[in-house]
Amino acid sequence: MKRTISAKKWREIGQGYFFMSPTIFVLLLFILGPILYAIFLSFHKVELLGGTSYQFVGLDNYSRVFDDERAKIAVWNTFKYVIIVVPTQTFLAIVLAATLNAGLKGEKFFRIVYFLPTLTSSAVLTLIFMWMYNKEGLVNFMLDTLGLPTYNFLGDPQVALAAIMVMNIWSTAPFFMVIYLAALQGIPDSLYEAAELDGAGPIKKFWYITVPQLRPITSFVFIMGLIGTFQLFDQSYIFSAGSGGPDNSTLTVVLLIYQYAFKSMGTMGYAAALAFLLAIVILIATLLQRKFSKEESLY
Amino acid sequence: MKKKWFAGLTMSTLLAGSVLAGCSGDNGESSDQGSSGGDGEKVTVTLAGWGGNPQEQELLQQTLDDFEAKNPDIDVKHEVIADQYMDVMKTRLIGGEGPDVFYLDAFEAPALIETGVLEPLDEYVTDEFDTADFEKPLLEAFQKDGATYGFPKDFSTLALFYNKQMLADAGVEVPQTWEEFRAAAKKLTKDGVYGYGVAPELARQYFLAESSGGSIVTDDRASFADSKVVEAIQPVIDMHNVDKSAAEPKEVGASWGAEMFGQGKAAMVIEGNWAIPFMEETFPDIEYGTAEVPAIKGEKATMAYTVSYVMNKESQQKEASWKLIGYLTGKEGMETWTSKGFALPTRKSVAEKLGYDQDELRGPIVTGASYATVWANGTNLPIITNNFNNQFVSAFLGDQPLDEALKAAEDQANSEIDANQ
Repeated sequence: MKRTISAKKWREIGQGYFFMSPTIFVLLLFILGPILYAIFLSFHKVELLGGTSYQFVGLDNYSRVFDDERAKIAVWNTFKYVIIVVPTQTFLAIVLAATLNAGLKGEKFFRIVYFLPTLTSSAVLTLIFMWMYNKEGLVNFMLDTLGLPTYNFLGDPQVALAAIMVMNIWSTAPFFMVIYLAALQGIPDSLYEAAELDGAGPIKKFWYITVPQLRPITSFVFIMGLIGTFQLFDQSYIFSAGSGGPDNSTLTVVLLIYQYAFKSMGTMGYAAALAFLLAIVILIATLLQRKFSKEESLY
Repeated sequence: MKKKWFAGLTMSTLLAGSVLAGCSGDNGESSDQGSSGGDGEKVTVTLAGWGGNPQEQELLQQTLDDFEAKNPDIDVKHEVIADQYMDVMKTRLIGGEGPDVFYLDAFEAPALIETGVLEPLDEYVTDEFDTADFEKPLLEAFQKDGATYGFPKDFSTLALFYNKQMLADAGVEVPQTWEEFRAAAKKLTKDGVYGYGVAPELARQYFLAESSGGSIVTDDRASFADSKVVEAIQPVIDMHNVDKSAAEPKEVGASWGAEMFGQGKAAMVIEGNWAIPFMEETFPDIEYGTAEVPAIKGEKATMAYTVSYVMNKESQQKEASWKLIGYLTGKEGMETWTSKGFALPTRKSVAEKLGYDQDELRGPIVTGASYATVWANGTNLPIITNNFNNQFVSAFLGDQPLDEALKAAEDQANSEIDANQ
C-alpha cells in the first residue's frame, strides 16, 4: 500500500514538511540534537580541550556513579530537599490560596504582596538571603531577640541545606498559590452551600471540598515542584560559591554535574551520564506520582 | 516532483541555517581578521584576564598603552572576564574562540598545560629577556618537561597581619614562632574578638600541612591523610575547638579574612598583598602591621600565589602575541605594572629597583618569596583541594576528628582521580 502514494500525495507531504522545516530545524539543532549528543557523550570518555577525543567506554560512566561517594551525598541531599520542599510548598500554596479566596478585606492587596517573592530572580534572591543569613544578619538578629539560638547558616553543614530549603519554599510557594487561586474560582459555590446546610465548618469545608476539588491541580503542582526541586542548582551554587560546601552539605545532583562537566577536565562523559540518570529519576518520580494520584490528569 | 520538494527543504534549511549562523558571527572576528594582516597592516592581539580594582585596571591600561606606542603595528584588544574565569576560558578554547594571550593561575596551570592548548614559549625567548631574572619557584610553576608555557606576571605571598592597637592592649609582642602565635591568639581573644581569623582551606593551609615533612600530593594523588600532615595541621583545629581563639570569617559574619580583620573581629589574620589596598580603601582607620608568617619548628614557611601570561596554541598572531607577553613580563612592562604595589614583581631586578623589600607593609610579603611554597602541584590539585576543603571544614567545626576527616577526603579524592584516568 505504501508504494502507491501518488505524486499528489507526495507533493502534499513535501509542502507540509517544507512549511514545518524552520521549526524542525530549530528543534533538531537545539533540542533533539543536544539530547542525542548528551547520550552519546555519556558512553564515552570525553576530552574536549586540546584536540577533542572520544573514547568509547561502554557503561563505565554509569557504573562509576555507584562508587562515587560524592554522587551518593548529592543524591541524598537532593532527596532530602525534594521530600521536604515539595510537600511543604504545595501545602503552603493551597493554604495561602484558600485564605486569599475566602473573601476577606484587602484580598487583592495581599495577593500582590504574596506573589512578589516569585518575581525576584533566584540569583538575586539567594544573594539577599545570604545577607540575611549572615552570622550578624537579620535572621540571627531575630532569633536572638526571641531568645532562640543563632546559627552560622552559611558555614555550618548542619543547617546550610535547611537554609536553602526555607528560601526556596518562600519564593516558589506563591507561584503555585496563583495556580491554586485560579483553580479555586472553578469550584462551584453550590458545593459549599450544600456543605454548610449539612453543618460543615470552614475547616471541614476546606478538607472535604476544596482539597478534593483541587486534586488535578495538586497533581500538576506536585509534578512541577518535583521537576524544579530535582534541578536545584543556582541557589546552592551561589550559596557555596560553586563548591557544594560546607562539607558537601549543599551539594546537589545538578551542582555535581556542573562540577564534573566544567570544573574538572575530562569528566564531561561522566557528567552526561549523571544528567541522563537524573532525567530518568525525574521521569520515574513523575510516573509514580501520577499513578498514586490516580488522576486522569490533563498534563 | 520529488526533487523539487527536496530542493525546497534544503533551501529553507539553508536559509534558516544562515540566519542562525549570522547570530554568532561577531565574536571570532577579531582573531580571524588579524590573520590576514601582514605587511604594514595593524594586527590585533586579544588579551583576556579577570578584572582588578580600578587603579589596577588603570595601571594595566597604561602598560598596554606603552606597549602599543612602542609597537605601532600591534593593536591590543583587552577583554575582562568578570566571573568564572576558567569556565569561560576553557569553553572559549574548546570552541576555537580563545584569546591570543591570557592570564593563567599557577593552580590551574599543570592541567591546562597537559591538554596541549598552550604554546611553549621557549623558542621565542631572547637572551635580552633574561629568564634567570625570575624568581625560580614562581617560574617553575609554569614549566613542564623542560618547556616553559608562561611567564609569571606578579605574585603575592602570605604574611601575618596584626592589629597594632589590640596587640598593644593585650601586651603581646608580634609572634615570631607558631608557639608564640598560638599563645598570642589566646590572649587576644576576648569580647567577641578572635585572636586568629583563619581560612580553613587548603590554599591557605598547604604550607602548614607540609611543615612536618608530610606531603599533600604524591605522584599526582592525594596523600594528606598521612599522620605527619594531620599532626602539622592539628593546631589550627585546636585553636578553633580547644583554645577557642580562632574563627573563620563566616562565623562572625564576614566574607573573608581581611574583612574580618578590618571589622575588628580578628586581631591577627594571615593574608596576602591583596589585603593591603583593600584595607586602605575599606578600613583606613585600622592601624595594622605586617610580619612574616610565624616560623614553624624553627623553619620559615609561607604560600606564594602567582599568575602568568600564556599564549593560545591556536593563536594566529604568535609573533605579536609573544611581543606582548615579552613586554608585559619584561623588565620595563613589569616595572610599570607593579609600580604601585598592587601586585609584586616576579623579577628580582624589578623588585630590587622598586624597593618593596624596604616597604613597611610589603616587606614581609616580598621576603617570603625566597622560601614560599608555590600554590600549584600537578594536574589533580583542583580535585584534591575540593575534597580536602569539604572535609577539613567539618573537622574545623568539630563535627569529626581531623584524621578521620582527612582519610575520608583522601579516599574520595583518589577514587575520583582513578576514575578519571
